[in-house]
Amino acid sequence: MELYSPEGLRLDGRRWNEIRNFECRINTHPNSSDGSSYIEQGNTKVICMVQGPMEPTLRSQANANKATIEVNLAVANFSTLERKKRSKSEKRMVEMKTTLERTFEQSVMCNLYPRTVIQIDLHVLSQDGGLLAGLTNAITLALIDAGVAMYDYVAAITAGLHDQSPLLDLNGLEELDMSTLTIGVIGKSEKLSLLMLEDKIPLDRLESVLAIAIAGSHKIRDLMDNEVRRHGNIRSSKLVNN
Amino acid sequence: MSKNIEVSTNEKTYFLEALKSGIRLDSRAFDEIRQPEITLSKKEYGYVELDWGTTKLAVRVSAEIRKPYEDRPFEGLFMINCEISSMSWPHFDNQKNSNDEVLIARIIEKAIRRSNSLDLESLCIIAGEKVWCITVDLNFLNYDGNFIDAGCFGVMLALHHFKKPDISIVNGGEDIIVHDVNERQPVPLSVLHVPVCLTYSFYNPGNKESNLKGEDDDEIYLLDANLLEEQNREGSIVITLNKNRELIQLSKNGGIPINANVLLELSFKSMKIVDRLTEKIKEVIKKHEAERYEELNLRLLEVGADR
Repeated sequence: MELYSPEGLRLDGRRWNEIRNFECRINTHPNSSDGSSYIEQGNTKVICMVQGPMEPTLRSQANANKATIEVNLAVANFSTLERKKRSKSEKRMVEMKTTLERTFEQSVMCNLYPRTVIQIDLHVLSQDGGLLAGLTNAITLALIDAGVAMYDYVAAITAGLHDQSPLLDLNGLEELDMSTLTIGVIGKSEKLSLLMLEDKIPLDRLESVLAIAIAGSHKIRDLMDNEVRRHGNIRSSKLVNN
Repeated sequence: MSKNIEVSTNEKTYFLEALKSGIRLDSRAFDEIRQPEITLSKKEYGYVELDWGTTKLAVRVSAEIRKPYEDRPFEGLFMINCEISSMSWPHFDNQKNSNDEVLIARIIEKAIRRSNSLDLESLCIIAGEKVWCITVDLNFLNYDGNFIDAGCFGVMLALHHFKKPDISIVNGGEDIIVHDVNERQPVPLSVLHVPVCLTYSFYNPGNKESNLKGEDDDEIYLLDANLLEEQNREGSIVITLNKNRELIQLSKNGGIPINANVLLELSFKSMKIVDRLTEKIKEVIKKHEAERYEELNLRLLEVGADR
């Protein structure tokens, strides 16, 4: 299997700096949640629903200074090629959940919603690489849909290194064979709010991988922004007609 | 970790004001780690106690013979157990594994196990039948911040210190004899590289908006935070490197965002400390070996030297 051909094509025919097909929708579940979103990043598919800000069920969750963010992550048994039962207490899941909670604690204006909880439910329908990135993007969109005040978009993407060349937005097969860097970028800046690298890359190559990943996440931000604006226009045109 | 332990506002302000004027409360430089003090067991192989400032931990390596996983018949087993109990700090929960504890354990495991720092194939005895299973037990005895760096350093030290009993295969590969350490010199593990974790904590002296939107990077970063510094930090990042200039792991679980340039700068700056800590492990182990050699009078056993 050739991950990156001499002609510069990858397994799925992309070039090194191309992202996978990115589809997103917001307000997919208007009746059952305050904010919802659905994203497809290649074959990684995630549904996200946001409830709140609302009164916490447990007293202990209430913080007098800011909102508490609670993330629930459910990975469907059928999300990978091999059907597999997954427990929520698996270390990898707990790690991902905590990472997301802490990332969004900083990008949501939590101080505006004291004594409340914002509950985020994630459902992973299909996994094909870049799961953490997909989850982050889904949460960002759902929070925007819920009207929760945020400083800016958090757009996440993965990038990897094949030999010497950095590759953007890895799919599942590429992720198995390459070290993968996941980053979450605040808006159009170069500020990283999320960072995760699990395998070795040479230190001197970090800069090139980081640069392409930042460029990629700006692209994702634009795509998400388009969807939010499109949805906003539909809503406002409805208002005019009534 | 329970939430109801908060630093008083006075203490917090005092601490932050000191940081702004470039002073850390324990008079270290911003990018200075605490000096690790190492106690290696003289009697057994693979027991190490580490004092990282007042953060204390004990590491124990043990080996047993097991059957390998069926899909990996040539590879030995390697496990790291992280024990964080309320002994180290009353606010750590004894029963339940809180999120912080899982994160600490995960990061240490990713740094050492996932990066293949231990050569698993060298642990194979008979393919598909018998392999060595190396277990590292990491017990934290006292908590004063920075479990991750100290834990990673301690485990690597213990792996270097550990020796597994020599074995010989008899009956054409059917049986094995495990030789007692007093009977035959035990063999050290083959450690391929030494990952070193460094944790940087971030503080934002300005307000939130200036951090997110501003062009100026006035965030303060501290290496190797102690407990007070850790309780007050607004974000942290763990960078794991080895002396071959390989980046093994990066982990930033939330916290205030940092600029990409700062990240690069920190990683490059870390190399110096990584080199020093790696050197320290090698040096301490070498000295210890020499002492043991003298003590046991191993020279008497060596044949061939005079021939």
